[in-house]
Formats: sequence, C-alpha cells, structure tokens
Amino acid sequence: MPMGKAYSLEKDVLVIHRELTQLDLFVRDFVEVLRKHIAYLIVSGFVSIAAGRSRGTEDVDVLIPAVDSATFTLLFEELSGRGFWCYQGDTAKGVYPYIQEFAHIRFARANQVFPNVECIPITSEKKAQYFEFRHPQKMRIKDFEFNIPPLEFEILYKEIILGGEKDLADAKHLRTVFSDILKRERFKEFEPVVRSHGH
Amino acid sequence: MAIDYVVYYAEKLKRNPDIFVQQKELIESQMQSSAAFFSGLFGKDFKAEARAYLREVGLL
Repeated sequence: MPMGKAYSLEKDVLVIHRELTQLDLFVRDFVEVLRKHIAYLIVSGFVSIAAGRSRGTEDVDVLIPAVDSATFTLLFEELSGRGFWCYQGDTAKGVYPYIQEFAHIRFARANQVFPNVECIPITSEKKAQYFEFRHPQKMRIKDFEFNIPPLEFEILYKEIILGGEKDLADAKHLRTVFSDILKRERFKEFEPVVRSHGH
Repeated sequence: MAIDYVVYYAEKLKRNPDIFVQQKELIESQMQSSAAFFSGLFGKDFKAEARAYLREVGLL
C-alpha cells in the first residue's frame, strides 16, 4: 500500500486505505446476505462517505433487481435470520408486492431504526439506473468489497439528477479525492446516459 | 476569496489518510446517538412503535 495516499487502484478495485466504521460493518453484514441471492449496486451517499466524505447518513441506497417471489423469500428470510427487520412488513409474502410495484423497501438492524438500507428495485425502463447496475466498479475497505457505480457516473448523477446541496458537495468531494484517476472520456460517455434518467 | 471547505478537506484527506480517523469518530458518534435516542423512544413493541413513528415522518 502506498504510504500517504487515501486510496489505490489494485486490479481495477478501488481500495480505500482506512479502518472499517460501524456504518461499514452494518452495510457489510447486509451485503454479505444480499450478494448470496442477487446482484446489487450501492449508490449515492454511502459511496462518498466510503471515500472519506465527512458526514453521516441515515440511508444507504442499494439498487436491486426486481426479483421473483421465490428468490425474494429466501433473501428476506435470511436477512430476518441475520437480525435485520423490514420497515414494510415482517413476512416475505407481505413485502413482495412492494418489489412487484418497484417501490422501495428498507431494512435496519433489530431494535434500531437508523441507519437503514433502502433497497431500490430497478427496471430496464430506468435507463440510467439500469446502465450503472450493469457497469459496477469494485471498492474495498479492509475485507469489505462491494459494488458501486463508475465514479464518473456517480459524480454526474449527483450533479445533474440529484443536484441538492449535499449531493453537489459529495460530487465535489469525489472529484477532488479521485482527481488522479477520473477520466474525461468517461464523463463524456456517461453524461447522455445520466441525462436519460427516467426516460 | 472564501475557502471551499469540501475541497480543502478532500485535498488534505487525499494525501493524509490519518484524517479518516476523524471521519470514523464523527460517523460512529452519530450512530451511537441515534441508537440511544430510538432505544429510549420506543417501548417493548419496538417494531409497531417504530412503524407508527416512520409513518408520522413520511418514511413509511
């Protein structure tokens, strides 16, 4: 590991040189279950925080496919067995209609409300989300490796689609921290995709 | 010219990963405060009371 640098790129994995926080451990425990059943992509605030942005968060946004009922049931039951509860209901059967309707569902640890993981079912009709979901970038902190969007995509999404004060600051943080590896041609490639959001 | 603190912090962090220690303290302090607040707010039927609260704040 190079001394005095916040990150390195090791075989296309973005390695962040820091210790795991309690927030990372919460997300890691959730993702360990999730990845056994379905593909996923962690997006938005957690990406910036994982890269050192100095702010807290209550929600960790995760894109998931709109899975079939049997897969969802296995996932839901394992999450429940691993100490997570779902805001929307206590049974897979009761919560699955949310997935069918592409509504968001949230999970927190037992006896806690925040932080929560907000699972966002995606559809191919949402072109931008569908694109980033199919082009994951690996990020690693210690033994926790997870999928995020390409950095240039994440930055543009925050700047163009989200655009709130917090999002713009997150984007600025990512642009500054990763200025050595961000690629202008990828910004050009991704911008029209990001602008197709919701189309 | 005013300092852009987001950029200032990110530039410092980029070259000095020791700053991650402060970030960890901030994040964990927030999580501990939140856990303490909600454990005191809800009684024995945590999920039912939490869901009522979440409906009130528009998260459910």
